[in-house]
Amino acid sequence: MFDPKKLIRKGLPKGHFKDAAVRSLLAGVTYLVVIIAALLFGKIIVDGAPVLFKAEAPFVDFEFLTAKNETLHVFDDALGNRHQLPAAAYSAYLDKHPGEGIFNEQTFSYSGGGIAGPIVGTALLTIGSMILALFFGICAAIYLSEYAKQSPFIHAVRLAILNLAGIPSIVFGLFGFSVFVLAVPIITSTPADRSLLTFPLFFGNYFVSFQGWNSSLMAGCATLACMILPVIITASEESLRAVPQGFRDASLAMGATRWQTIRKCVLPFSLPGILTSSLLAITRVAGETAPIMFTAAVAAKDDLPWQGLKSPFDLLSSQVQALPYHIYTLAARIPSSEYTQRAQYGSVFVFLVLVAFLSAGSMILRSKLRAKLKW
Amino acid sequence: MSQEEISLSPSHHRFQKRGFSCEKAIKYFFASNAGLTIVILVLITIFLLKEGLGFFPGYQRELEVYRIAGLEFVDISRKNLTAQEQLTSVLNRAYYAEINGQAAREMKRSKEASALFNAYSEQTGPTRDLVVNNSQAASDPKSEMLAILKTNFEKQKVKALASLPATPHLEKNERADLIESIRTRAVDSTEDPPLVAALAAELAAAQEKYAVPLQGMRATIDSFSSAGSELSSLVSEMTESVTATKEKIQGADILEKDRKTLLAAAASAKDLAEREKLTSEATASLAEKPDVEGPIQRLMERRADCVKAHQALQKTTGGILAQLPENLRQPDARRLLKVARATWPLFIADLEKTPAAIHAWKYDAPVPLTAAISSFLTGKDWVTGGEWQDFYGILPLAAGSLMIALVALIIAIPSGIGAAVYVNQFASPREQGIIKPVIEFIQAIPSVVLGFIGILVFGTLLRDISTWDSLQWIPGFPIEERLNIFTAGCLLALMSIPTIFSLSEDAINNVPSAYAEASEALGASRFQTTFRVVVPAAFSGVLAAVLLGLGRVIGETMVVLLVAGNRIKIPDFSSGLSTFFQPCHTLTGIIAQELGEVPLGSVHYRALFVVGILLFAIVLAINATAHHFVNKMKH
Amino acid sequence: MTSAIQIQNVSFAYNTKQVLHDVSMDIPAHQITAFIGPSGCGKSTLLRCFNRINDRIPGARITAGSIKVHDIDINRSDIDLQELRRQIGMVFQKYNPFAKSIYENVAFSLRVAGQNKRATLDEIVENALKSAALWDEVKDRLHASAFGLSGGQQQRLCIARAIANQPEILLMDEPCAALDPLATLKIEELLMELKKKYTIVIVTHNMAQATRCSDKTAFMYLGKLIEFGPTMQLFENPKDPQTEAYVTGTFG
Repeated sequence: MFDPKKLIRKGLPKGHFKDAAVRSLLAGVTYLVVIIAALLFGKIIVDGAPVLFKAEAPFVDFEFLTAKNETLHVFDDALGNRHQLPAAAYSAYLDKHPGEGIFNEQTFSYSGGGIAGPIVGTALLTIGSMILALFFGICAAIYLSEYAKQSPFIHAVRLAILNLAGIPSIVFGLFGFSVFVLAVPIITSTPADRSLLTFPLFFGNYFVSFQGWNSSLMAGCATLACMILPVIITASEESLRAVPQGFRDASLAMGATRWQTIRKCVLPFSLPGILTSSLLAITRVAGETAPIMFTAAVAAKDDLPWQGLKSPFDLLSSQVQALPYHIYTLAARIPSSEYTQRAQYGSVFVFLVLVAFLSAGSMILRSKLRAKLKW
Repeated sequence: MSQEEISLSPSHHRFQKRGFSCEKAIKYFFASNAGLTIVILVLITIFLLKEGLGFFPGYQRELEVYRIAGLEFVDISRKNLTAQEQLTSVLNRAYYAEINGQAAREMKRSKEASALFNAYSEQTGPTRDLVVNNSQAASDPKSEMLAILKTNFEKQKVKALASLPATPHLEKNERADLIESIRTRAVDSTEDPPLVAALAAELAAAQEKYAVPLQGMRATIDSFSSAGSELSSLVSEMTESVTATKEKIQGADILEKDRKTLLAAAASAKDLAEREKLTSEATASLAEKPDVEGPIQRLMERRADCVKAHQALQKTTGGILAQLPENLRQPDARRLLKVARATWPLFIADLEKTPAAIHAWKYDAPVPLTAAISSFLTGKDWVTGGEWQDFYGILPLAAGSLMIALVALIIAIPSGIGAAVYVNQFASPREQGIIKPVIEFIQAIPSVVLGFIGILVFGTLLRDISTWDSLQWIPGFPIEERLNIFTAGCLLALMSIPTIFSLSEDAINNVPSAYAEASEALGASRFQTTFRVVVPAAFSGVLAAVLLGLGRVIGETMVVLLVAGNRIKIPDFSSGLSTFFQPCHTLTGIIAQELGEVPLGSVHYRALFVVGILLFAIVLAINATAHHFVNKMKH
Repeated sequence: MTSAIQIQNVSFAYNTKQVLHDVSMDIPAHQITAFIGPSGCGKSTLLRCFNRINDRIPGARITAGSIKVHDIDINRSDIDLQELRRQIGMVFQKYNPFAKSIYENVAFSLRVAGQNKRATLDEIVENALKSAALWDEVKDRLHASAFGLSGGQQQRLCIARAIANQPEILLMDEPCAALDPLATLKIEELLMELKKKYTIVIVTHNMAQATRCSDKTAFMYLGKLIEFGPTMQLFENPKDPQTEAYVTGTFG
């Protein structure tokens, strides 16, 4: 029976200590993750920031960002002064001081100079693959959200998107290598032996040869575009669907065609959303290493991508350095020492700052967009 | 009148559309873009299969050559020899563990003293070399330069002496003496400081002292070790002859392949003259059939010797176990001895079976395709580019991938789900505003950066921590390899936490609030509501999150390539929990590491594609299961 | 006639939005009291104050007045909330059984109270299901998922769940809003049965339902209590013109 006195609790609520313990355990786990993440970045910032920034104006060491990547030579001159010079400066030094011996010489690959090559290469790869992926991705999303009805085709497309999104990046690397590097058609006057299929064109002495684009910028862009396509399609479709159905109905009711409706009443409102989520896709494209290892990236290259080109096509068909691959090379192929730290931590710091800017930008834009677009 | 006739009739209603409209073209354009995803998926499947499926016939031929040339026959004996060598090494390790365990104090002291001296030498080395080299070379010792060099050296010396490593096992005055002796050391002295030398001598003496009671064991090990010498010389003798046969067969294979290419070219050549030229070239390059019978017969004649050597080895081995000491004092030594005792009967059983195997072996037994497939799927060796024989067995790689995934999930599941529960159920909006972006940012970090952190920061940190005296109770500490399963697992956990966190949080968030309301209305507390109603209701979604996290872990490449240590070997599970501190190699890592170095179209190249197919299938299966659970959650 | 709940000058707000203004009434024990009124008039909010389930909503609070259950002010800081809710059961608008078996749904409130003895649980579950007139329909599949039941059965399961604890008062927030007429009829029959043992407060949209089952009715409008009295009197001779307009269907 009802006993009003039971309602008044004496002391702390039942199970108070157990609840508090569980709660603090969960909080501890959560903050542990946060703190570990913070510590790791702290370490990179502490070691990497001095490479990029300096005490006096303009405070940023632009040389690190704009100089080519070279081998680092470390040596003592006859007076016991230690020099650290990248390859070009090293040979200049030797020319300037002939006959003076140098001692204790050590060389460190990839550790001298700056990281202009990798930065430019990553930028080219990212721009190229994003252009491809955005074009095809937005078009596919328009079909899925504006035209598609229930059909086996749509079902297959959705299944394909779902599966593509889960494929490991190294498998994309294998795919890019076997398709874009070795098998896609190319027009050439001298088809290679390993060509899968060759047939002559009607003019000149040219053949269409299915021999691939070799390891090149365009093969890398195509591979990365395939990898990011499902992400772009999903994000674009979401943005397109966020446009209220009423906009379309109103437009169609006034006699506009489907395409006019999409162009005037749907795309303009969803583009900001699409581009915002693409920013996040950029961080993924820029950060992937496995797909470009065999399709585009090269560890060392003397020229920047646009130097020494005979035709613009050469830019697309040449290999490039890339920041993630550069970091891989620095981490895996050279021993860590006080002379390589500048290159190692500097590159990672620059890369991380880039990624942080992109993802923070995407987060901020997204929350702004949500606040602005309320239908 | 049928439908078509209506549309064809010239007088139609004005609402009716005619012909192929621009609108339709636009629609088909967009549809084709959507179809691109299907095309890509199909292309991935086709090209992986195209490159990969050739592997099995190629591998079958390699295994066939392995048999015909007699390599397989030699491997029967070689396997036992390797086992014997491994057992010897285990016994030796037990022996030294016993001695060094007893002399642990001396060892630590000696190590610390030399570490201190080495740190000093390393830092002052370059400047010191300059001084020494120049004072020998320069005729004028008083030169200005030498003075500068000497000041540089002195400066470096002061710096080095200020930053010496800690020596917890040396007495305070011992350390002071050591530093003093280093300070007053002549520049060109090559001798070790007295304390370093003294401690080294002390250690040697201690080792000698503790070795005395173990003399019997030493002798036993030595006799066991030398018991294999007869078999060993037999094996190396046979190795030479079979390798020669194998080379001949392989050479003939290559010629045969060339001939086929020429013939194919001839068949498709348009010009009659060219065709004849190619055909004649092909006939000319017809390889003479290599002589297999001769060497094999000679090999078969050695059967009796082989059997005899094995029997001798078996006889010695049988007696050894009884002669080993009953027990040892040091835990490490005891464990190793136990391992040896456990494997001993297996080794003897192998030896017993060997003569029968030697007699039963036939060089012309066919190698079916299934043998190649099962050798790939269940093979314990992934050996490539060797001089002896290439094996493509997936087990070491799969074991590595699984072990790493296990470590990663053990860490990531509790922390990911715990964080999701905390953030969704207990955290204030302000805490959410901090935690969510940080975890989202972890997700955005490229994996190569995490690998970099692992190799340069985390691995070293872990190894340093593992040498702390207070942590020695943890199995496997101090760790031998900086890069190992555990390091890789930790970093992958960090990678999969955001996936598990955000998807679990979504799942918990999607539980209808009516559940929580009803639960509280029935008198459950916040905690009971969370753990008895909300979390169980989100179970499918959380499970899907864990599976997607697993998919990410299995498919991740750069972190494991950089951090897993890349040793292709099935982890040695006999060492208990310290198995997790061994290096390993993974399915993803092997592709990334070897694809750039293999010749196009070779068996090795194709093997990598088969690994890719396997990976593709595993991850797709995991994701399909995960999406099954997601759909279940929706209903 | 003793009163089960005494409401004295209660005002209530979600953050700055005032929802209830100075509501006072005495809810009699062992009778059915119905709250009627147009949507958003605050009747559900008032009901949800009785077991303090509004505490879940951030920013929701009573700004003035007091609610007493058998002379205990339930907004005291040292109230044992769990015990309070065990004594005051609640049934919601949309039937919401947990994703558990029928048995576990009914046993839930006992288990969270620390009762785990199998025999006791079996007995209580059976009694609760019998009281909710559900036993005969489910006794063969007690351990099947609760989602396999029909809507009306699920709602009766929720009632069984609420009375498993033997509460003093049963709060019902539009219990028939999501049900078809037949299921509604069954629930109403059940209410008549239950009122012998429990004090029932029911919020309803359906004036016919209020006339059919309730003993007393309160009409609320814009967060104020307009009129409160015996049901017959309120519907046939409303004192307030607003009440009259509402019950005759002029607005609302």
